[in-house]
Amino acid sequence: MTLGSDFAIFAVSAGAGLLGALAGVGGGILVVPVLTVFFGIDIRLAVGVSIVSVIATSSGAASAYVRDRMTDMRVGMFLELATTTGAVAGALLAVLVSASFLYLLFGCVLLLSAGMQLMRLGEETPPETSPSPLATALRLSSSYPDRRLGREICYVPRRIPLGFGLMWIAGVVSGLLGIGSGVLKVVAMDGVMRLPMKVSSATSNFMIGVTAAASAGIYLGRGQVDARIAGPVALGVLLGALIGARLLNRISNRSVRLVFLPVLLAVALEMVARSLGYGL
Amino acid sequence: MKQHRFRLAISTVLAVGVGASAVLIGLGFVAALLVGWQTAILGGAHDSVAATDFGNLLPRLESLQPLAISQFGLIVLLATPVMRVATSAVGFALEGDRLYAAITLAVLAVLLASILLLH
Repeated sequence: MTLGSDFAIFAVSAGAGLLGALAGVGGGILVVPVLTVFFGIDIRLAVGVSIVSVIATSSGAASAYVRDRMTDMRVGMFLELATTTGAVAGALLAVLVSASFLYLLFGCVLLLSAGMQLMRLGEETPPETSPSPLATALRLSSSYPDRRLGREICYVPRRIPLGFGLMWIAGVVSGLLGIGSGVLKVVAMDGVMRLPMKVSSATSNFMIGVTAAASAGIYLGRGQVDARIAGPVALGVLLGALIGARLLNRISNRSVRLVFLPVLLAVALEMVARSLGYGL
Repeated sequence: MKQHRFRLAISTVLAVGVGASAVLIGLGFVAALLVGWQTAILGGAHDSVAATDFGNLLPRLESLQPLAISQFGLIVLLATPVMRVATSAVGFALEGDRLYAAITLAVLAVLLASILLLH
């Protein structure tokens, strides 16, 4: 590795961190293909680096999101019950189900939700509703200070059991396939539970670090984390995530959706490609 | 306001974890540019280790091997989310929020179980 390629990896990672922090995803979708295609890095090591990139995006941006009340910590912690148990189930199920079938299934689910996202492009905040008995019992009604709109936005999560179920599946997917769990989390919170887009993105960002931390030790033990590659990636992603975290609350929910939609499409297509035996 | 202090505590844990790891990774990188990844700055030479091998970290760290400094930075980074969940559990408990303290402890238990199960 030359200093030039270190710098190039740093720069790409900064872009991935910025995108990841805004869209609520880990940035692995950008880092892994670049490392394997342009730098010829072994896919085994690229996957290990992807875990580092997810945790760096999450921890780098979450510090600002938590302080600025963008992250819904109750919703996040409640849903982490689903994602962590799902991830364990996914790892145990891995021997029973065909990965290519799952890639096709989730690729189609994500393409469908991309269509639903398109229909919501014009919506700034979700319509107001009254809390369900479950939302009241779990004290999940909340609000966040929207800097762009200049006021406090109140919201109530809807369809909590369905959202919890989808989060469990997001956990299974990350345990089984290793990609796309951030995207599924945003879809579950924004599309199903109808949280504001910025809250969905910030809360997904908060959660993906925990899901990734569960498997980080395994990658480390298997010798899949190369410190010489992961170093520049971690520093780049952290820088990008810090910038992204400053941006999120200054732009509109519509703009966040516009950033998220291409990421959603890219992950969906990547999954379909993998189911057909292509893909990175 | 308790809620505010709770958020500040978690935000601080994350910022310190991220800051410390970035400094360590950066220091390791700069030191590697100056003396090479494997050279022990203090004390005797070590056998050359692969950049993916995190074993025997402490003695390599004590002799300030650049690779070990970067590797330690990565470990700090990977441990930060777990520290954050642990801080949340304490925070919810101090707030008197038993429901969410229990939920957070359950998440922590599943995290630890997954690490044990998957090994």
